[in-house]
Amino acid sequence: MNVNNWIENIIQSPMRYAIPIMTHPGIELLRKTVKGAVQNGEIHAQAIKALSDKYPSKASTVIMDLTVEAEAFGCKISFPENDMPHVIGNLVDASNVETLEVPSLTAGRVPQYLKANRLAAEMISDRPVFAGAIGPFSLAGRLFGMSEIMISCYLETEIVELLLEKCTQFLLSYCIELKQTGCGGIIIAEPAAGLLSNDDCMQFSSVYVKQIIEAVQDEQFMIVLHNCGNTGQCTNAMLHTKAKAYHFGNAINMVQTLEQCPDDVLVMGNINPVGILQMMTPTEVESQTESLLEDTARFSNFVLSTGCDVPPNVDTKNIQAFYNALSKYNQKH
Amino acid sequence: MENILEQIALCVEKGKINQSVLYPPDMRGEPGVDELTLKALELGISPPDLLSKGLIVGMERIGVKFRENQVFIPQVLMSAKAMNCAMRHLKKYFVDGTVSHKGKLIIGTVEGDLHDIGKNLVSMIAEGNGYEVIDLGVDVSAEKFITAVRENPDAYVGMSALLTTTMINMMKINKAIKDEFPKVITFVGGAPLNSDFAKKIGADYYTEEPQALVEILDYLVTN
Repeated sequence: MNVNNWIENIIQSPMRYAIPIMTHPGIELLRKTVKGAVQNGEIHAQAIKALSDKYPSKASTVIMDLTVEAEAFGCKISFPENDMPHVIGNLVDASNVETLEVPSLTAGRVPQYLKANRLAAEMISDRPVFAGAIGPFSLAGRLFGMSEIMISCYLETEIVELLLEKCTQFLLSYCIELKQTGCGGIIIAEPAAGLLSNDDCMQFSSVYVKQIIEAVQDEQFMIVLHNCGNTGQCTNAMLHTKAKAYHFGNAINMVQTLEQCPDDVLVMGNINPVGILQMMTPTEVESQTESLLEDTARFSNFVLSTGCDVPPNVDTKNIQAFYNALSKYNQKH
Repeated sequence: MENILEQIALCVEKGKINQSVLYPPDMRGEPGVDELTLKALELGISPPDLLSKGLIVGMERIGVKFRENQVFIPQVLMSAKAMNCAMRHLKKYFVDGTVSHKGKLIIGTVEGDLHDIGKNLVSMIAEGNGYEVIDLGVDVSAEKFITAVRENPDAYVGMSALLTTTMINMMKINKAIKDEFPKVITFVGGAPLNSDFAKKIGADYYTEEPQALVEILDYLVTN
């Protein structure tokens, strides 16, 4: 697939499209557990396929699991039956970053995730499948401890930069391999960088993300840079990476963000996956989605999405309401 | 004397720990809160004044700046680190009763949830604003909260959750606390929460950011 043409078609089209970051409802459709899906590439791929059969998303997305890469490095992971896995404890501190080994792509669940992406790309032919990977700063935070890394950015900058280089080295090889699976691109999730100022986001995240993007992004393959922590302060640092698409969370003002982003990149967001999709009624979900679509109507590069991964246990009526709002909007405009 | 208290407040606000650290870049080589706290005590400034007119002023300023998106989590953490450094010099005055905390806050991330950055941030800002914080850590059960309340019946309780699935545990824990200690005031916070949820589970307050919690605590202890 030529992603440049795909993006251009979206921008030129009078229609508005949706790409929610959504896999859990697919797992539920299959009556499988989250634990099963994050450990088994086949279940994972079937969940993505089930959703692509049911909903008219412009692209399919894999599970936003931010523990896969940390597990590959050696972090202990807890696997709840029906929630996302979590990293337990810190793997490194300032004393042992230097000896930390960059893992191979056979470590942990990496092979299962590569398999999930390959199978999903084989099974879904009517739209691109976007793989997922954690961003370098978010990964470094998982290995070092989030509070600890934020302080060490200032007090032990060289150690943090060394850790970021190791994370980037691993992510780079992972992203190159993901590209071989047939996916149309990767959503790089870098939420922890959204907790930083623009300058810090640039120094500790964007320069590393940019290295990955420069290595894998081309006419056939795109990066969507997701940062749901950004409240607007570090959008410029995100844009520095030159991704072909940017994905924002519900903490940001979507109209202001669209004004800030170039009109030749896709800008996605930002229906609150918990506060709206999970907790509101279908009528309220539809109304909130309609409001976002109306507010962003003048931006042809806007793609309707959720602000982050849709969590488990969202009523399918609410997902349908999200798409109903899109459909009504497209009929009206 | 006011000058050194202002200098201390500025060091806390800017996260200037001591003279040797290079952060923040615009204060390189200058004395930090470590040296200035000792100097203030040598000058005869009373520990309560040092706390209320110097250190807490700095923490309040950073809390407000954080709320207004002028600074971000790393800067707040540096301020808290600077504050902790000064508090080491004041520890003996808390022990002998020369200075006292404004109140106590029991805090923890609820059972099933291992995320701690939000909880740590609240903990540090509350501590920096003069509260004794009893941090129960992450994955904290109702039993652990109740034991802590039993040992500290005058404490306020803060519960944090980042996961939608653990929000449900927050409901269980809040109910258990309220059943046994109906007068204990509870706070909840975390990314997926809102005030409607807090009302639904019977928690007394939901706060979106740490300084708001401190302002409510300040109101409660003085009224």
